[in-house]
Amino acid sequence: MDIQLKRGLLDVCVLAAIKPGDSYGYQIIRDMKPYVDISESTLYPILRRLETAELLTVRSAEHNGRLRKYYSITPSGLQRIEDFKQDWREMESIYRFVVREERESQ
Amino acid sequence: MNREQFFQALRARLAGLPEADIVSSLEYYGEMIDDRVEDGVPEEVAVAAVGSVDEIAGQILMDMPLTKLVKARVKPQRRLKAWEIVLLVVGSPVWLPLLIALAAVVLAVYITLWAVIVSLYAAVLSVAVAAIACLIGGFVLSPLSLPGVLLGLGGALVCAGLAVLMFLGCTALAKCIVKLGQLLWQFIKSCFIGKRGKTE
Repeated sequence: MDIQLKRGLLDVCVLAAIKPGDSYGYQIIRDMKPYVDISESTLYPILRRLETAELLTVRSAEHNGRLRKYYSITPSGLQRIEDFKQDWREMESIYRFVVREERESQ
Repeated sequence: MNREQFFQALRARLAGLPEADIVSSLEYYGEMIDDRVEDGVPEEVAVAAVGSVDEIAGQILMDMPLTKLVKARVKPQRRLKAWEIVLLVVGSPVWLPLLIALAAVVLAVYITLWAVIVSLYAAVLSVAVAAIACLIGGFVLSPLSLPGVLLGLGGALVCAGLAVLMFLGCTALAKCIVKLGQLLWQFIKSCFIGKRGKTE
């Protein structure tokens, strides 16, 4: 898959992982695991990028005597997911057209 | 490798970067390790699971803006001795122009890539304008001459078709050039990351 495309898709996946509620790094990886394999080293720059773009916010909270960072989606992050859904519907339409031509040629 | 050894190794690989970036990275991976340990995973297994230090440091450095990478690369890892400082100053008429020349070459290559893209589309535009000119020439300059009109129309169609084909070709070529620019940028960044790995 094109690297830039995958990068954009992973960004949306991470936002979708925190949409239901605040989450933390390890939980985000576990939630995504059934759908996409993502490593800690891949997730870290994604979280930084999303925070810089104000698509999520970060807060530290005490957990079992240590600090843990929790990530929350922002309204801009929610909009990003909606934009992705719209883009995906268009992409699906193009995909159906491409696949239809292949089916007809077979 | 245990948690502390991992932190020491990662800190060494990220040496030269702003302290805030290093601390942020260590906190993130420390949290990942602690979460796994909380899940019952032994510490050394948890450390191995987050990835190798080289891979992690490479990813962090590749994500850094080039300016930060350059600063980290040129920043001395230890206090310079007096003779080293003198050598740097005395040698500046040599290394400084070379550095400026290298930066200028990189910038020139980047500008050239974009100039090629702009000139390709300018060529497409000129052919499109020629199509309009042929149309005007046929209908306006020789309205009473059928051959003239047909010639103008034919010329306009040929130019229009050529412009469309050229546009498709130019767009594909422009995408390749943009990708080449991105690869060049990644290569420049990797030069600063790669050398750090070899020297440490």
